[in-house]
Amino acid sequence: MLKRHFAGVAAALALAASPAFAADKPIVIGVPVGLSGANSVVAPSVVQSAELAVEEINAAGGVLGRQLKLEVADDASGAAGAQKAFDSLIYQKKVDVLISMETSAARNAGLPAVTKGKVPYIYTSFYEGRSCNKNMFVNAWVPEQQVPPVVDAFAKDKGAKTYFLIGSDYAFGRGMLAFTKSYIEKIGGKVVGEEYLPMDGSDWTAIISKLKDAKPDALITSTAGGAPNVTLTKQLRGAGVALPYANLAVDEGTAKSMGADAEGVYLSASYVTGIESPENKTFLAAMSKKFGAGLKTPNDLSVPQYEAIYLYKAAVEKAGGTETAKVLEALPTVSFTGPRGAISMSKQHHAPLTMYLGQVQGDGSVKVVGSFKDVDPGEQCPKLN
Amino acid sequence: MLLILDILTTAGILFVVSIGLLAVFGVLKIINFAHGAWLTIGAYCAVVAAKLGLNPWAALPLAFVIGGALGGLAEHFIIRPLYRRPLDAILATWGLGIVIGQLITLGFGRDVQMTPNLFSGTVEVFGADYSAYRLVALGAAVVIGVAFALTIEGTRLGLSARAVIMNETLARGLGIDTARVRLFTFMIGAGLAALAGVLLTPLTSVDPNMGVSWLIGAFMLVMVADASFLALGVACLVFGAAQVLISTFVSPILGSIAIAVLAALVLRISPKGFSRA
Repeated sequence: MLKRHFAGVAAALALAASPAFAADKPIVIGVPVGLSGANSVVAPSVVQSAELAVEEINAAGGVLGRQLKLEVADDASGAAGAQKAFDSLIYQKKVDVLISMETSAARNAGLPAVTKGKVPYIYTSFYEGRSCNKNMFVNAWVPEQQVPPVVDAFAKDKGAKTYFLIGSDYAFGRGMLAFTKSYIEKIGGKVVGEEYLPMDGSDWTAIISKLKDAKPDALITSTAGGAPNVTLTKQLRGAGVALPYANLAVDEGTAKSMGADAEGVYLSASYVTGIESPENKTFLAAMSKKFGAGLKTPNDLSVPQYEAIYLYKAAVEKAGGTETAKVLEALPTVSFTGPRGAISMSKQHHAPLTMYLGQVQGDGSVKVVGSFKDVDPGEQCPKLN
Repeated sequence: MLLILDILTTAGILFVVSIGLLAVFGVLKIINFAHGAWLTIGAYCAVVAAKLGLNPWAALPLAFVIGGALGGLAEHFIIRPLYRRPLDAILATWGLGIVIGQLITLGFGRDVQMTPNLFSGTVEVFGADYSAYRLVALGAAVVIGVAFALTIEGTRLGLSARAVIMNETLARGLGIDTARVRLFTFMIGAGLAALAGVLLTPLTSVDPNMGVSWLIGAFMLVMVADASFLALGVACLVFGAAQVLISTFVSPILGSIAIAVLAALVLRISPKGFSRA
């Protein structure tokens, strides 16, 4: 009994001795993310960048003197898993905020719990757009930001007037190409073909023959990530298609593993590792120092996660605490300059972003061939301001 | 013209993918739902061959041998006790397919693997550029078909296999070691599936689930062909043509279910499928 008492006193003394802790408990950040399922390839990189942000902030004294703490939960990349993950984070772990990159299905399934549990939610994945909730802010791109740089580059630099669109038959694939089509028509171009294959389809033969028949000036594709993307690229190469080709679904990592098959393909992203800014170089150095050989290459899904934690920090500092209403009021007004540049979620809960046009080189690396400063997300949530 | 090439090469690829399943179904009367897993094993043989720095073509014999050897093990330990329980065999092979997929995930990770191209570039056929590899695949289908026919018609194993297909009890009564025939047939079927996996690598992504999308089509073709490999060739041509034509003139989404729908229709009208043709 006496012993336990002493231990308690010792612990209290130790706490008092470290000023960073003060008397406050840590601020808990919930990260529901697809550790299993479709997102399992990218999720580890998202968790790593969150860990770095938390470590850096804590080392510098935390937020309003309080330390940050991560609670990671697997949402299984889908709706059912997300409901469980959101419920347990909000009601059992009592997180102060949710910050995460997730599939659209998982995000939509989690939003009711966010509204009911009254927590702020920063969504860090690019998505098809127009998901609106007063508790949710988004710091990644929507079609209005990703597509125009590609089409503009093809129209101006390649003189492309006719386009062929190929996609996987699901919400994101169709949504991206529907926007692409309307944008092409808006700038006076013409879509000469638009074809889809089911997500598990692997034979693009007939579509490629139609593409060759249509003789377009340029090709734009938006397949599901991973297998369909690789299959289509291989079959296009096999068929000798050498048009200017933009792939809206390819990321640096996939491009690297595809190597020569992806050579010459254009991609559009808000983050590529080759961004020449001091913030990006510092970030990349810190990542490789912290994770060494286990580092998952930072990408367009993991970097927004890193920046979102800093944006939340800025909002809490401005609000003077973690109270949801005040944080939500502060979130659209704060800004953070990270690897992608200065980010502020100031436009209807979305963020104007600098977009980069990249071209895959023969060795699989991505060369930045153009950048478009502060591309506007457009009218995403006119009812939120 | 392009259309005819598309049809012929699609039929060739379908034939390559389903011939291994047909061999197993014909002799063992068992539907091997692990067929997709063996396609995947074959494709990963190409990945391993590339890591070892072998010539990409060396993956073909490697996959045939490894696929056949693993097929022998699977037959001995899993399939053999289930010959009298064909429904349980479906479940067992389905489960085996899942286990193999997970083992591959454990060993190689979930990501898409890259393999060197067996054959790249295009050739000019009747004034149009056409994928050289698809023509190579068509050639491979013909070679495999002819080799399969010679094995069935010209070797002792083929003779025994035909005897087992016609009347297994009588074959055993005549002193044919039917257990051995079953073992070798399963090994050959598994080896052919793995071989097909290598031949698919230039056309599709290589990942732990790659076999699944080919399994259903192959299954439907074999049901329609009913253990006759000539009928399989006909089925591949007819259904491959239907798939390409529907994809081209109607919609690729409908085209991708053409084989399943047509196979169901054919079996409804003629339960023996194309095997009498």
